[in-house]
Amino acid sequence: MININSKILLEVHDLHATVGGIEILKGVNLTVKSGEIHAIMGLNGSGKSTFSKVLAGHPDYEITRGTLLFDGQDLSALAPEERAQAGIFLAFQYPVEIPGVANDHFLRLAYNTVQGKRGKEELDPLEFDDFVREKMKLLKMNPDFLDRSVNEGFSGGEKKRNEILQMALLEPRLALLDETDSGLDIDALRIVANGINQLSGKDNAMILVTHYQRLLDYIVPDFVHVMEAGRIIRTSGKELAQALETHGYDWIHANDQVAGAQP
Amino acid sequence: MNMIIKDDYLDKLIASWKKEISPVHSVSYLDQLKADALNCVESLRLPTIRDEEWRFTDISSLRATPFPRASAATLPVSDNQADTFLDEAVCKLVFIDGRYVPGLSVQTADNSITVSSLSGLTGTSSVAEQYLGRLADFQENVFVALNTALMHEGVCVIVPADVAVKVPVHILYISSRKEVTVYPRCLVVAESGASVTVIEEYVALHEGVSLTNSVTEMYLKDSARVNHIRVQRESPQAFHIANSSALVAKSAQYDSISLALGAHISRFDQKITLAGENAGCEVDGLALIAGRQLADTHTFIDHANPHCRSRQLHKCIMDDSAHGVFSGKIMVRPHAQLTDARQLNRNLLLSDRARVDTKPQLEIFADDVKCAHGATVGQLDRESLFYLQSRGLTETVARNLLTYAFGGEVISRVTVPSLRQHLEQYILARTRIS
Amino acid sequence: MSAALQHLVNQPYKHGFVTDIEADIAPKGLNEDIIRLISSKKNEPEWLLAFRLEAYRKWLDMVEPAWQNVKYPKIDFQDISYYSAPKPKKKLASMDEVDPELLRTFEKLGVPMHERAALAGVAVDVIFDSVSVATTYKEKLAEVGIIFCSISEAVHKYPELIKQYLGTVVPPGDNYYAALNSAVFTDGSFCFIPRGVKCPMDLSTYFRINTEESGQFERTLIIAEAGASVSYLEGCTAPRFDTNQLHAAVVELVALDDADIKYSTVQNWYAGDENGVGGIYNFVTKRGLAKGRNSRISWTQVETGSAITWKYPSCILRGENSVGEFYSVAVTNHHQQADTGTKMIHIGPNTRSTIVSKGISAGQSNSSYRGLVRIAPTARNARNYSQCDSMLIGSQCGAHTFPYIQVQNSSAQVEHEASTSKIGEDQLFYFAQRGIGAEEAVSMIINGFCKEVFQQLPLEFAVEATKLLSFKLEGSVG
Repeated sequence: MININSKILLEVHDLHATVGGIEILKGVNLTVKSGEIHAIMGLNGSGKSTFSKVLAGHPDYEITRGTLLFDGQDLSALAPEERAQAGIFLAFQYPVEIPGVANDHFLRLAYNTVQGKRGKEELDPLEFDDFVREKMKLLKMNPDFLDRSVNEGFSGGEKKRNEILQMALLEPRLALLDETDSGLDIDALRIVANGINQLSGKDNAMILVTHYQRLLDYIVPDFVHVMEAGRIIRTSGKELAQALETHGYDWIHANDQVAGAQP
Repeated sequence: MNMIIKDDYLDKLIASWKKEISPVHSVSYLDQLKADALNCVESLRLPTIRDEEWRFTDISSLRATPFPRASAATLPVSDNQADTFLDEAVCKLVFIDGRYVPGLSVQTADNSITVSSLSGLTGTSSVAEQYLGRLADFQENVFVALNTALMHEGVCVIVPADVAVKVPVHILYISSRKEVTVYPRCLVVAESGASVTVIEEYVALHEGVSLTNSVTEMYLKDSARVNHIRVQRESPQAFHIANSSALVAKSAQYDSISLALGAHISRFDQKITLAGENAGCEVDGLALIAGRQLADTHTFIDHANPHCRSRQLHKCIMDDSAHGVFSGKIMVRPHAQLTDARQLNRNLLLSDRARVDTKPQLEIFADDVKCAHGATVGQLDRESLFYLQSRGLTETVARNLLTYAFGGEVISRVTVPSLRQHLEQYILARTRIS
Repeated sequence: MSAALQHLVNQPYKHGFVTDIEADIAPKGLNEDIIRLISSKKNEPEWLLAFRLEAYRKWLDMVEPAWQNVKYPKIDFQDISYYSAPKPKKKLASMDEVDPELLRTFEKLGVPMHERAALAGVAVDVIFDSVSVATTYKEKLAEVGIIFCSISEAVHKYPELIKQYLGTVVPPGDNYYAALNSAVFTDGSFCFIPRGVKCPMDLSTYFRINTEESGQFERTLIIAEAGASVSYLEGCTAPRFDTNQLHAAVVELVALDDADIKYSTVQNWYAGDENGVGGIYNFVTKRGLAKGRNSRISWTQVETGSAITWKYPSCILRGENSVGEFYSVAVTNHHQQADTGTKMIHIGPNTRSTIVSKGISAGQSNSSYRGLVRIAPTARNARNYSQCDSMLIGSQCGAHTFPYIQVQNSSAQVEHEASTSKIGEDQLFYFAQRGIGAEEAVSMIINGFCKEVFQQLPLEFAVEATKLLSFKLEGSVG
């Protein structure tokens, strides 16, 4: 929801970033306030996934120009875990499988680490167990998830649900959801979207990175941005997503030409 | 090599034993076996790094430690070993410095199996004659020869046909004093359709130099199942040399997990012969070492018959200047068609001074088989690290967690819950999770 | 194995004939006098004789290696003639002057030299029983400053280069057969690609053993200076003999900064008959030194011949960011034995290596992959990937994989994978049901199995290799 008086959470200015010496982001500008839901759309290779990885601090990506402020603080100086502790959460497009680490152990460790850093109360295993089971109901997850290794042997839908579960536990102020809809059947999509909607509130913000409009049928964004060649080339309301779905990404350029012809 | 190299070390050992051993008058199978093995010792020598099978493991420092066996004298009984006793192990046999300690041992109430110390085997000498020394080859291997010549007390587990032993048999070897050599010997016979879990555990109450030279022989008859867990937690100065052989008959299944955690130099030679059709084995190992430790594991899985299946996962985690060695051979004999063999060796180097030498080998003489092996050496996965960090874990915690998980994959296969918990705690402490 | 396929394996060696050329042969046996004789026949400078004698003295103190997984009767090194050369009828100025008999030999081998040279743009340095008698395209190469000649010629024309590099990658005392080669090598090729030059064509040597009982001791040295690149092809066939012949070549490659050497071999020496009688003993030492930064050495081999093959083309990756590659197909049939593989020695930081080995065993043959990947403490961020696949055809052959991995740097990433595959009855049936006969099916499966290696070969070699493999394995599956 848009509220003029909300405080600015994320301020991205002229962001350039490279991976392996190749420039992917070429001047991204974006401002996100508390309570807002943004969608970043674009074709494969437009830089939208890179953008979310840069925000989360993936070590392979290097910021070469521009600023990245989160709650007024320079993000680029922070390690990935410090960003997480500060309230940035990335739901991975491809959640990593970690054989040998039990999910419940991992979730508790992440929860308590973040709670500790935020000066909040940590939970002992029993308390945490109750807490996490409550959260899992939200996502209609089977309790045996807890005993399995992190993401190992999970189906695509299970992995995505596990990501949203982590989001529910860590209570981020800014959640980046990278292609969260990919690989989900319609039922799973509904459950995941429902979970995300319940987690959305006036004190946090979300950025949905997606190729298709599908997810936006369930989560209504306040802003839709179109990314191309490492820049945001168009920003509008939720109707933009519908237009893209109907006309395809080329429509943007056709539309530009028309707009250019009639100043 | 027909040249016999004079070996001072062995000569000294032999001389010291000859004083100790009273001349043999009886001609029991056991006495004859020992005499034969002693003859072999005299014609063998200690391996050096010039021997292919010992290329990476230099045991020359062993020569400085010609330790005697422990006398039967005082046996310290300690309470601080409580953590080595397992809840599930109703049946436990405790040896201190190679001597059986009845006071600490508990024989099973279940009379269906025979568990005895080797010295008690005299009553069942036919068992000894049928099995003892038949599998562990002392003709070529000097350590097996030494053990066979000098075995004094050991364990014999016989599970009759179709008996499933519910509780694990826990054999605990405690080293209480430094500068002692022990020669543990273990014989397991699982008759047709029998099943049993045997845990061999080696622990030390001191941090000095000692030497363990153990030999284990396991016979699995048709459709038998043996679950063999081996935990080596010797003193950080110790030498631990062990040989284990299993003969797996038709449709039998042998599963083993061996953990090398202690000892200055440890060497584990494991031979598994899939001798009957449809036999199978799962062979897992973990070496978790640091400081200047060396852990060497040599396995030989012999597919001698069709339709057999083997799975192997061996992992090494090396910190500081530790040195891990793995040599794993899978042999597929002619006519062992439809063999299905898979082997994976994964190594994690945590320090720039650590070193690993690995040699996974396939020798295949049959055409209709599925065999694969793989070996990796590397560090913790960057993507996994980032994933954990992005969830708020510090880099150190993330690293520790992943290191633990690397070893945890093997530990999770330990089927005895209390032992698995002990080991998880131990690994957790070793991988420094705060 | 079905009878239909059985007969196909047993096809006779098609290159089995003896060319009748007068040869100048040294008496059998090896001693310092023989070495002096070789050296004086070749009119060599004193330093080279000294090099040979030093190698010979080292050899005398060495023991014949026994660790390889091959079996053969003991070689009597005194029963070998160490020198034989065709008598030059006159000095050759062009290809037209090459002995017509020799040209006919190439014709029979299916290597029409004129066409090959003209159409494929290949310069052929013809080695005929140890002495180079014809070299084509030399002038064209000379225009860009490339030296491509026999090593004997190079000894006289470019003594400083030979002195600087000979024996630096494979020292005279490196191993038993390398020492022997260093003492008695008769001829071979020398290539020098100067700074910044990309060799305009593939350089190629076709040679074959001709005189009965003459050991072959080729010596090849290839230098690529900074920024230079070259692709070198080596191919060989040999006439049929009952007496085993020893072939102990040494190949040394040196790549300086940013240089690139690609060395491809199709080896089809006489393998002996179906009972394992005769055939070449191919005991070769091949090693490349990736000395400069960003240098690259790539070995590709298709080993189909020889009674025994014993070779490990290796890379010493000393330069920062240097790259080593080994692509191999080894086919053994009947009683052939092959123990082959590679060594990748990582010394410099960021060095990378790739090993792809495909072994195919049929008949009663044995094929072993033996490889070493060593990451030295200095090799930060070294990477290796190895893949060793084997295929067994029939139930009397063997396939063996002996990789050694030695890592002493924690930043290394080393991965080794090996698997076996087979040509199953069900696959053949599937092909048959689609109207494809067993022979063609086998050929397709084999070529699919070896594709990654064949892709590395220069085009005309790839075609030849594909044919050779089908030919070698004809009849072995069923």
